Amino acid sequence: MSAPPVPVDARRARRLSVGGRVQGVGFRPFVYRLARLVGVAGWVQNASGHVLIHVEGPQAALDDFAARLVPDAPPLARPEIVDCEDASPAGLTDFAIAASAADDAPCVSLPPDLFVCDDCLRELADPNARRYRYPFINCTQCGPRYTIITGLPYDRAATTMVGFPLCDDCRAAFEDPVDRRFHAQPLACPVCGPSLSYVEGETRIGATEAALAACVARLKAGGIVAVKGVGGYHLMCDAGNAEAVAALRARKNRPHKPLAVMFPMTGADGLDAVRAHLAPDATAATALCDPVRPIVLTLKRADAALAPGIAPGLDEIGAFLPYSPLHHLLLTDFGGPLVATSGNISGEPVITDAAEAEGRLGSVADAFLHHDRPIARPADDSVIRPIAGRARTIRPGRGLAPLEVELPMPLNAPVLATGGHMKATLALGWGNRAVLSPHIGDLDSPRALSVYEAVAADLPRLYGVRPEWIVCDAHPGYASRRWARETGLPVSEVFHHFAHASALAAERPDVRRWLVLAWDGVGYGADGTLWGGEALVGAPGGWRRAGSWRPFHPIGGDKAGREPWRSAAALCWAAGRAYPRDIEGIGLAEAAWRKGLNAPATSAVGRLFDAAACLALGRDVASFEGQGPMELEAAAAGEGPAVEVPLFRDGDGVLRLDWAPLLDLLLRNDLSVAEKAAGFHASVAKAAARQVRALAQEAEVQAVGLTGGVFQNRKLAEMLSARLAQAGFTVVIPARIPANDGGLAIGQLVEYAARQANEADDE
Amino acid sequence: MSEDRISLAHGNGGRLMRQLIETHFFAAFDEPALAQGLDATPVPATGGNLMMTVDGFTVQPLEFPGGDLGTLAANGTINDLAVCGARPRWLTLSAILEEGLPVEQLARLVRSFAEAVRGSGATVLAGDTKVVPHGQGGGAYLTVTGLGETVRGGLSFAGIRPGDKVLVSGPVGDHGTAVMLAREDFDLRGDVRSDCASVLGLCEAAWALDGLRFLRDPTRGGLATVANEIAQATGQGIRLSEPCIPLHPATTSVCEMLGFDPYYLACEGRVVAVVGPEDAGPLLEAWRALPEGAQAAEIGQVAGDAPRVVLETEIGGERLLDELEDDPLPRIC
Ligand SMILES: [Fe+3]
Ligand SMILES: [Mg+2]
Ligand SMILES: [Zn+2]
Ligand SMILES: [Zn+2]
Repeated sequence: MSAPPVPVDARRARRLSVGGRVQGVGFRPFVYRLARLVGVAGWVQNASGHVLIHVEGPQAALDDFAARLVPDAPPLARPEIVDCEDASPAGLTDFAIAASAADDAPCVSLPPDLFVCDDCLRELADPNARRYRYPFINCTQCGPRYTIITGLPYDRAATTMVGFPLCDDCRAAFEDPVDRRFHAQPLACPVCGPSLSYVEGETRIGATEAALAACVARLKAGGIVAVKGVGGYHLMCDAGNAEAVAALRARKNRPHKPLAVMFPMTGADGLDAVRAHLAPDATAATALCDPVRPIVLTLKRADAALAPGIAPGLDEIGAFLPYSPLHHLLLTDFGGPLVATSGNISGEPVITDAAEAEGRLGSVADAFLHHDRPIARPADDSVIRPIAGRARTIRPGRGLAPLEVELPMPLNAPVLATGGHMKATLALGWGNRAVLSPHIGDLDSPRALSVYEAVAADLPRLYGVRPEWIVCDAHPGYASRRWARETGLPVSEVFHHFAHASALAAERPDVRRWLVLAWDGVGYGADGTLWGGEALVGAPGGWRRAGSWRPFHPIGGDKAGREPWRSAAALCWAAGRAYPRDIEGIGLAEAAWRKGLNAPATSAVGRLFDAAACLALGRDVASFEGQGPMELEAAAAGEGPAVEVPLFRDGDGVLRLDWAPLLDLLLRNDLSVAEKAAGFHASVAKAAARQVRALAQEAEVQAVGLTGGVFQNRKLAEMLSARLAQAGFTVVIPARIPANDGGLAIGQLVEYAARQANEADDE
Repeated sequence: MSEDRISLAHGNGGRLMRQLIETHFFAAFDEPALAQGLDATPVPATGGNLMMTVDGFTVQPLEFPGGDLGTLAANGTINDLAVCGARPRWLTLSAILEEGLPVEQLARLVRSFAEAVRGSGATVLAGDTKVVPHGQGGGAYLTVTGLGETVRGGLSFAGIRPGDKVLVSGPVGDHGTAVMLAREDFDLRGDVRSDCASVLGLCEAAWALDGLRFLRDPTRGGLATVANEIAQATGQGIRLSEPCIPLHPATTSVCEMLGFDPYYLACEGRVVAVVGPEDAGPLLEAWRALPEGAQAAEIGQVAGDAPRVVLETEIGGERLLDELEDDPLPRIC
């Protein structure tokens, strides 16, 4: 038997469509090089999100090409072959990069902003290179993206670099397929790109090197400089200079909230300077070196030579490494750690504009280091905390967001989720995809609301997805709910803690039967009261409140969230005790509490931690959100006496924990602060484990989830997850999606999608 | 909270109340003059020479530091006419009394009412009294209709321009705070008194100015609600400067302790004015020359951007003062 011989060089052709993260990451140049390497002709083209590839050549070469396309892709790319089909050979002899095509059904990935790659770093330090010490060096593997993109597909003309025409040298590199700057959209050099300027009073220095030198000199002299970065301004000062730090705090009216510290990148792994002051564990070290360059909450060393005012009362420092070439130069020249806190008014989005910075930060900063690359939209620094051996997102920001999340079930129409009120984010969902916006801020300020509205308009525009539904929180006072109702689109509401639970569930779609502890400050619950210590059984689209805490009545509305004494006093009065601490005029508050005036019931564990911080540490009034609980966690040392917390079933069958013995513990006279704090954590962990065991006997549970802002408390989360693991439970703590309200928007999408799926099943 | 049934929030001056009135009253009456949302309306047959208003008064308790139901009912009606540019002339009084109300107390309330009416130069031309069984009324409810002669026309939202100044005639939030303390029977020795009074004199001083655009008495929902009404009706933003807003220290400390926002608490003897920038100084001077305007202040301006009310805080921050929601619940998570 003999088949007709196939000529070995018979040309075949193949058409591939590649999705995933393939824009702004050097994917097309890679395709070009790969095609040349394996010996195929054809072309590659950007088509609003997908990359279309046509290859033709011998069968073996085509196979080789297809086999290496995903595994050999550049480190930042996450290609997924969406489609691969045979095509007719066109007789091409060369491989080319074709111009981008704009089509009307884009499926884009909006890339986040990333740190300088190793190649660019080397060049930055090379005196012979054209971009030696150039603060805006970048290539296809690094540099700004989200904060400069004004439209998609991702091309220079649709970025804020449009105002910087390329010089001849840059253009040559930009057009050379084998250059690592080939189609690096933010490409720049000292001749044609952005530059620095320094402003101090009447002095204005326009030359980049001189501006940088003036900034470093001012910082060394103990000054405070507002420095424009990638996603906004920082306020910077010498982290080793106690007076500078105190001045920054006084001028920013920020007495205690921890300040982030940027360390120079030194030593073999870049962390020598960090290790001189801090003790990063393996998780923290990895997170610190990630190209995302997040702020990582890292344990302080006892001998840290940092100003004590950086994180008073806490045992961790928010540390990060330089995240742009500018910061790299700044930190290297300064030669030590710098405080680098968001240049904003508390709770507002970070400031991005030079005039606004000089106007609103004028009374804080001694000087300004500006640059003239416009920021299309603000992105605050991302914040990570290592908990139970993994990096957990506390704040999604520059480098992390927009965060891509795969929905466990598809949406039947595009949906915009409006998130919460504090730490607001938005999420856009369509099909199985969801993207979470960066952290915007608290929606109490007009600036936060303006940025929020801009992001709400931007996400659908950039992704080419028009939302047909809105999902929002059910709290009547949230600005995000009000905004949702003003869109004119149909609105669905998701209860706060259901959204927390569903966001967690998105990280483990394989789990079908959950028991989720959703513990936070207050959120609007399904019965119209303020929840915050809930045990929810079920799955997205079908949560049941099976457990909770005994409610209590913090006095003073939203003031209770800022003044821990209000929660502490409410517990004391409910227990028939006098409030032991001295608060002027408290008699009026007690009278109001007895009348139930502005003292709504809540089961919020966040408020219990507030109360504990007040009674154990004397933290009557907090100057920033979560201050009491954070100080309580830092104060907890050793085991501490764990008390037994009783469970009781209320009239609705909800299994509730009673806080009364915790109050007794906190009011004991024979315990040190450290013992009280540790005992409180241990008791709460033990109580939660007990509640979980009881509920797991009543319902089938595949995994126990721990979410809500309270579980950003590392000691509590680790203690409880260890206990639960010991009892044989699978424990899940959010990692990518924030456990706090920054993750609500994703949970709202998941909850909405699951409800749709349930309704479809019912029909 | 269910919005299918009347709740207390339908009467707090905020969003629910506005929606209720728009949907169920304005729509039913189909009278364009009503839909302007002013405190009094020109009577068409008189060519606008007469203004008409009506108000019901249900305050609890009936007597409180600084005033009582009678002064409140008289001044509330007088003030609604005055802020619309009219001098009050003729009133009616409808009293719904609850079985068991001490006659002596009723006499006190009526005396207060009469005294306040006399002070304004108006007279009572008609009245009605009904008694409802014990338990069906809060002691006494008064409803007052007022007719006034238009002295100063042209006061409406329509005249408001970006750059106009916002002034208030005195400290805000006193009435709401005093009544709350009195209602809950707190043991506080009258540190906070209601500001319940006529604003006719203040309005007369303002009428004289060409640059006067708009006047309103910040009653239910307080200063923040008036500012929101202006923002919504004009499509302009309002920026208020927190350090400039007058507050009595006693009111401030009660609000701080109980967690209330004084900008949302009622006044009953203050007036908010919007004036052209050139007349802000003269108005302030004229008000401060009056005893009831001694603490008058320029507190902000019409900003011309999105129709929001922004409070500029002492430390350079900005806070949105939203339209009053149902029952304000804590939001800090
Ligand atoms: Fe929450
Ligand atoms: Mg009226
Ligand atoms: Zn690079
Ligand atoms: Zn160049």
